Amino acid sequence: MTHLALDQLLRLREPGQEPGLAEAREHLAACPVCQAEAARLDQRSARLRALPALRPARSQWPVVRQQVEADRSRRRIRWAALAGVAIAAGVALVVLLRHAGRRSDTAELAIDSVMARSSQLEQVIQSYNPDARVTDGATALVAGQLEDRIAQVDRQLELAQVAEGRRRDPQVLQLWQQRVGLLDALVDVHLTRASQIGF
Amino acid sequence: MADALVLTEADVILARARAGDVSALEQLYRAYEVPVYNLARRICRTVEDAEDVLQETFFEVFRSIHQYRGSGSLWGWVRTIAASKALMRLRRNKYRDADELDEEFHQPTATRSDGGLRMDLEAALERLPETSRAVVWLHDVEGYTHEEIASLMGKTVSFSKSQLARAHTRLRRWLGEETALA
Repeated sequence: MTHLALDQLLRLREPGQEPGLAEAREHLAACPVCQAEAARLDQRSARLRALPALRPARSQWPVVRQQVEADRSRRRIRWAALAGVAIAAGVALVVLLRHAGRRSDTAELAIDSVMARSSQLEQVIQSYNPDARVTDGATALVAGQLEDRIAQVDRQLELAQVAEGRRRDPQVLQLWQQRVGLLDALVDVHLTRASQIGF
Repeated sequence: MADALVLTEADVILARARAGDVSALEQLYRAYEVPVYNLARRICRTVEDAEDVLQETFFEVFRSIHQYRGSGSLWGWVRTIAASKALMRLRRNKYRDADELDEEFHQPTATRSDGGLRMDLEAALERLPETSRAVVWLHDVEGYTHEEIASLMGKTVSFSKSQLARAHTRLRRWLGEETALA
């Protein structure tokens, strides 16, 4: 008498009706040897399921958290850069519309100069492309803090510039200067790291 | 494994995680750390690979958390990411399938006590070739169908079935359960 092979017993455990298994099913119903083998197969699977769960020797959460924060930081700088460009474009439009034909005074020149510097620094950061680089935890932390502060300044700038006639407001100039200072620091953080690891 | 988080709790944690709450992410990590690591460790050859898969899985979970729509169980979603990462690592490492040599030189011995059998089963599972081990674990323990395994591995359903049969043939032999069957 030919008993069922292991692969046939395995196929009989699958849901559905595979062609050619009707005979095998009939044989199994009548054969105590194959029934015992099928039971051993089920027991082996049950014992596999009952194996104790293996646990990591140490939590990987600190590493995962660091990766998540570094990723968020990279996303923030992208948004900060876009917001900076949008703000600069908005300001330029307002200037064109409201001050067309007017003589630029000292405050105008000062704010134009700071905005140009801000734009230059953003380009430096974009060309460094922090998204494409692996960042260590300490760098990511400092960069993240700087980006958070840049985002705060951007929000203040948005609010300040929504109000009419605030472009020449000393507070707006001060915010732009603050933004440039933070961007400068961010460039330093990235470039110092790049020089240390030979990028 | 039953889902470690009850539905209402999971909904609240997910909402907080989507809003960027790091403590919610940590709760998700704590809830699924062990089952994800266990799955990774059963599939990967080394502890280091399993730890890497654990990290990659949760990083992916947190990055994709907005894409989870709650159509299946949260654990099912996390588990599929973990299985995919573990299988990707297997492919990347291209471990040598030393099955024939292992069969000859590393046959675990079977004993009768439950403790002894469990130890032997662990050893036998560990000695299976990576692909067979991954298939038997995903099918018999995690409950994936052959269609799902084939999809995860980028192989055919027949491949998954034949790997499962190979795995059971070896386990049966190594555990001393062979009979006079064909």
